Amino acid sequence: MVLRERHRPRTALAATAACALSLAAPAALVSPAAAATPHNAPGKTLRVAMDSSGVDTLNPFTSYFNGSLDIFGSIYPTLTVINKDGRPSPYLATSWSISSDHLTWTFKIRKGLKWSDGRPLTAADAAWTLNLIMTNETAATANGSLVSNFTSVTAPDPTTLVIRTKHPQSNLTYVSTPIYSIPIVPEHIWKAHVAGLKDYRNDSFPVVGYGPWKLTGYKTDQYATLDANKSFILGAPAYDHMVDQLYKNSDSAVAALRSGQLDYINGVNATEYTALKRDSGVSTAESVGNGWTGLELNPGARTRSGKPLGTGNPALTDPRVRRAISLGVDKQTLLKKVIDGYGTVGEGYLTPAWSQWVWKPSPGQEQRYDPAKANQLLDKAGYKRGANGIRISPKTGKALALRLGIHSDDSTDAAIAPYVAGWLKALGIKVVIDPMSMSALNSDLGKGDWDMLMDAWTNGPDPTYILGIQSCTTLPDDQGSGGNTDSFFCDPAYEKLFAKQQTEFDPAQRTKTVDQMQQILYNADVDLMLYNSTTKIALSSDLAGMNTGKPDAQGAYPAQSSFWSWLDATPKAGGGSSSGDVGLWLGIAFAVIVVGAGVAVVRRRAGVDDRE
Amino acid sequence: MSNPVTATDPAAEVVQLPTRSPRAPRLPWARYLAAKLGAAVVSFAVTLVIGFVLFNMMPSDPVRTMTRGRPVSPAQLIQLRSQLGLDKPVWQRFLGFVNDTLHGRLGYSWEYQRSVASLVMGRIGPTLLLMGTSFVISVLLGLWLGQRSGWRAGSRFDRITSSIALTLWSVPTFWLGMILLLVCSVGIGPIHGFLPTGGMSDPSLPQSGMRHYVDVAQHLVLPALTMILVVYAQYVTIMRSSIIEETGSPYLLTARAKGLRDDHVRRRHALPNALLPSVTMIFMHLGTLISGAVTVEAVYSWPGLGDLTYEALKIPDLPLLQGTFIVFSASVIIMNLLADLAYRLLDPRVRAQ
Repeated sequence: MVLRERHRPRTALAATAACALSLAAPAALVSPAAAATPHNAPGKTLRVAMDSSGVDTLNPFTSYFNGSLDIFGSIYPTLTVINKDGRPSPYLATSWSISSDHLTWTFKIRKGLKWSDGRPLTAADAAWTLNLIMTNETAATANGSLVSNFTSVTAPDPTTLVIRTKHPQSNLTYVSTPIYSIPIVPEHIWKAHVAGLKDYRNDSFPVVGYGPWKLTGYKTDQYATLDANKSFILGAPAYDHMVDQLYKNSDSAVAALRSGQLDYINGVNATEYTALKRDSGVSTAESVGNGWTGLELNPGARTRSGKPLGTGNPALTDPRVRRAISLGVDKQTLLKKVIDGYGTVGEGYLTPAWSQWVWKPSPGQEQRYDPAKANQLLDKAGYKRGANGIRISPKTGKALALRLGIHSDDSTDAAIAPYVAGWLKALGIKVVIDPMSMSALNSDLGKGDWDMLMDAWTNGPDPTYILGIQSCTTLPDDQGSGGNTDSFFCDPAYEKLFAKQQTEFDPAQRTKTVDQMQQILYNADVDLMLYNSTTKIALSSDLAGMNTGKPDAQGAYPAQSSFWSWLDATPKAGGGSSSGDVGLWLGIAFAVIVVGAGVAVVRRRAGVDDRE
Repeated sequence: MSNPVTATDPAAEVVQLPTRSPRAPRLPWARYLAAKLGAAVVSFAVTLVIGFVLFNMMPSDPVRTMTRGRPVSPAQLIQLRSQLGLDKPVWQRFLGFVNDTLHGRLGYSWEYQRSVASLVMGRIGPTLLLMGTSFVISVLLGLWLGQRSGWRAGSRFDRITSSIALTLWSVPTFWLGMILLLVCSVGIGPIHGFLPTGGMSDPSLPQSGMRHYVDVAQHLVLPALTMILVVYAQYVTIMRSSIIEETGSPYLLTARAKGLRDDHVRRRHALPNALLPSVTMIFMHLGTLISGAVTVEAVYSWPGLGDLTYEALKIPDLPLLQGTFIVFSASVIIMNLLADLAYRLLDPRVRAQ
């Protein structure tokens, strides 16, 4: 009897272990099946944090997420590459020329390159990829608009690619670049998958491609493993392997970096960055940001034919009210308080990352925080203050109240909104903060059901697309569908310049036109640029070479792309930790202590029973 | 014991056999089962309708969210909306949804461009591993501590156990996860980090064999520990109060009067009676086992179903949300059904109904 009594706790422990083990069985369901070639080959491994968006699909024709685009940039070639100065330079194409009518582009393709399965990589692969996107709706899912002006793409010989366009197109060298635009895929692999392209997942490892890396494995929402292509034409990676690992929140990624389980994070928040600066095992760097954070004002949503749309407050159709809001927002304070000063006050619509497009208002034209002038403007517009200090609309007799839509899951928006509400209240404008999901916010935006929205965008090296979302042609049709506008902006002068910049082949001239467009946007007060935050990078002190280019006067590096950072990363001599082994031994020690304590408790308890 | 009719009349015995044989109680048992099964099927049908209405009422523009920042023309957006079936009337979408569910495909995920069923299958293993391990340990730990605390209510052991349990129960899961991560993975002061910070396995190790399972177990420790610390308190509290209710009962007095040891009285007499409320709790808990734990999975990047749901919410990927909603609802309905059946076995009062 006593024996049975004594055995009982052990039975419970055994049952626990058995249950845990039986429950562990499902692990087998997920581990080997979904890919992942064992990545334990000898050589140095670089561990980077995957973009937090993750990977939606490994099919480059249908994928949108940044996590996927980073991988495609590493494993598929492109015609050109954005060099460290932010401009297109040779990759598959060694040179290019354009016909005198500006309609035919001829790219000279490198000789002797081979796909990772040994088959030759020629101009025919590029022609096949671009033709597929031009002719197949599914293949056009992700990048169709980039080839919409093409009439034909041919490869008269293995080293020549000829692209003919309907109209002159100045940004053609940006159409196939790593990460930002179209990757070239091997025709001999992909032609078998054209029929079922939508469902093709591209997960036979290793994936056949050509780039600085070769994809050897992938587990959904966990990690991708890659091997270096030591004969890569733009320089071999110094590391032999790479793991691109997804962390669901940045705190965990930072913890992984600090514990030596991760080497590189491109993009930590201001608080984490300040803390990491003091960490001895971690190096930090800032790079010029490729995004803006802004406040949109609804200038009176309309359809393409000019029919009013949505429930926007009519007060915002008055440019004086919009200018008053612009002058009433203290961007300098937002920069300092919201992102701890890691960035610059927003002015031009295009981001500082691509220096060729940077625009600043000429001296004396800047819109600086000036509440007195803002108040004057509102007075002039006829908005008199009521008894409670809130201004009254001269047309409707109603109090001037504006909705401010913010992203409910965004701490930056949550930090900015009360400042904006406070400043506008001082001007006599009541602000109702309305937190919404990204999707609901987008839905309201498309229907014109908004007054003010917090917004943020990033832009790639070619500005055509982001300038295009301010164009009249992206307004919705009369049924309210088919739109892709960002803020219902539509201006004939801007429209003309937009068409002009697409056909300007002299870079300096094109920059001038783009500058004029940014001037128009700045004066329209529809997209108020609040700030351009820098990208904050944290990396292991054992790494070198990941920050490419030279820092500017403020100490910020040029925008870093995963293509160059992952390619240029070099292990420092004597670097690398063996924390894995230490962890294992400490883990075992921990387990022994826990079990030992358990046994002690059980024995003591049995003793108590006997004493009773 | 004896029955005069059967004893004296063999013919009558034959006639009466069906009503007196062990099969006799099966008829109400079958009826009980049929009633419960019927209720479960009705619940599931209602769930389907609610699920559809719920996710189709959400204001959303998934296409714009998915394609944000990508060079997509208005014509492509229309094409994409049509590809995703967003231009179809609601009734057509509902029929498609029911058809997909009945065929086990659970729809087609917009984000991952795969069937929802295949995504759920891929995530169910990690979820069951994490939730199952933490569930088993929480239940055993909670019940054991709860009954010992309740038996000696007010003792030092009880005070310490109850206060620790209540404190941990009140702690926000995310915060607790981050603290454990800092202490055990990053290390604080003289303590060096010794456990992985996230994920389910180390990609640089072989993905099969014993080393892999040890690696998965290492990755499991922190998320499971976080779950256990947050959940076990519920069992402590319920078990403790059930035992306290039993302590004054006359049958325990009788048991003690027979000279049985205190420990024996607790385990053999008080415990079985005090267990029923905990059984309810266990089945309720089991029902939510599949849905995973969004917070813990997010802190430790654990690739489970809770995390998948969170990913789907960001777009929102409606077919994926609907699919996971159905799986979660079905697991709750099944567990409720099993709880009803278990009650019948455990509690004579239910059998008598």
